[in-house]
Amino acid sequence: MFDLLTDYIRSGRIRLDKTKITYRAAYHDPCNYGRKSQELFGHGYYEEPRWILDQCISDWVDLFPKEGHQYCCGGGGGTLLTPYRDERIHYARRKMEQIKRTGAEMLVVPCHSCHAQIKAVAETYGMPDLRVKYLWEVVADIMIID
Amino acid sequence: MTSPDSINLEHLNHDRFKSWSFSQNICTTCGICSSSCPVSGVEGFDPRKLVRMVRLGFQEQLVETRWPWICTMCGKCAYVCPMKIDIANIVRGIRSLRDRDQVPGILHKGIDAALKTGNNLALPKEDYLFILEDVAEEIAAEPGFEGFKAPVDKEGANILTTIHNKLVNTHTEDLKHWWKIFHVAKEDWTLVSENWEGTNWGYFTGDDTAMKTFIGRIVEHMEQLNISSLMCPE
Ligand code: SF4
Ligand code: SF4
Repeated sequence: MFDLLTDYIRSGRIRLDKTKITYRAAYHDPCNYGRKSQELFGHGYYEEPRWILDQCISDWVDLFPKEGHQYCCGGGGGTLLTPYRDERIHYARRKMEQIKRTGAEMLVVPCHSCHAQIKAVAETYGMPDLRVKYLWEVVADIMIID
Repeated sequence: MTSPDSINLEHLNHDRFKSWSFSQNICTTCGICSSSCPVSGVEGFDPRKLVRMVRLGFQEQLVETRWPWICTMCGKCAYVCPMKIDIANIVRGIRSLRDRDQVPGILHKGIDAALKTGNNLALPKEDYLFILEDVAEEIAAEPGFEGFKAPVDKEGANILTTIHNKLVNTHTEDLKHWWKIFHVAKEDWTLVSENWEGTNWGYFTGDDTAMKTFIGRIVEHMEQLNISSLMCPE
């Protein structure tokens, strides 16, 4: 997925208009593409999404901590599909603190579970206007169409 | 019982998890894992305690408690563990020991549906194909995407892509991003008409048999359609 997007951008098969996103974004590493991928396949996808973001957004920042030390969104491992909603909301408090500290208006995630979880808890943590977008959604949004 | 705070020592059995190869026996009880875990303290849970209970063989309590289901198997604890104990997979192992009808939420129901119908929603093929066409038509109505079609079961395509069930359920708008990217990049891609589910809930519940079945289906598609690349953002 990251490799494919990188390839499209590098080869010029898709061209991006970096001026389209004018507000600050933050990036969240999903556990499965980071730690889990590192453990299972010997490669964590940390650099690739950041390179892609560099091509898309002029003002994007990392959460702290990041990469291998990133906090889980609280919706992974199938927990979104259990009835334990209060536990999920509690789990997300660290993630939401991380996002708040960056001052970002948008969180970019390349994962369906993270996307659903952050959207579900944003309001509880006083961020009802936080935009949550998939990395490939950001790319599709700013693609130049002839 | 939600939290195993009272431990029945009759259940102590050091040999219980002997065959598990997650290094649980070399835990130094340092507690670093617990400090890193965002749900430590919820219902008395923390990973150090859980690892210790596995070491001591308290299977009944571990299987009964919510602990392994509020842990997201995120692996942060294992990442910082000085003994490299595979805590997330220990949790998955405990999940696998629950009776399947006691698996919380819709997880096992989804697996059952997928085993029978090829997707977690038990969405019939006609409805599924109708949704794909409908979304493709919406894209085709946008400038620059005239004539857009979503290819299905295309033999020899460069890329096969699976679908997250929520995208043909409540989030059809989100099907569009990748499809548009493929269109602009002039990619030769395809969806499949059957067994299209991209999520694998067998991974979540510790159900290895279901997990292998779901992966096998994708491999089968790739062989049958003669496609060598898979794009599975699920
Ligand atoms: S960090 Fe590792 S060694 Fe320390 S208590 Fe946790 S599992 Fe045991
Ligand atoms: S894998 Fe589970 S126990 Fe470990 S840090 Fe994540 S939520 Fe906590």
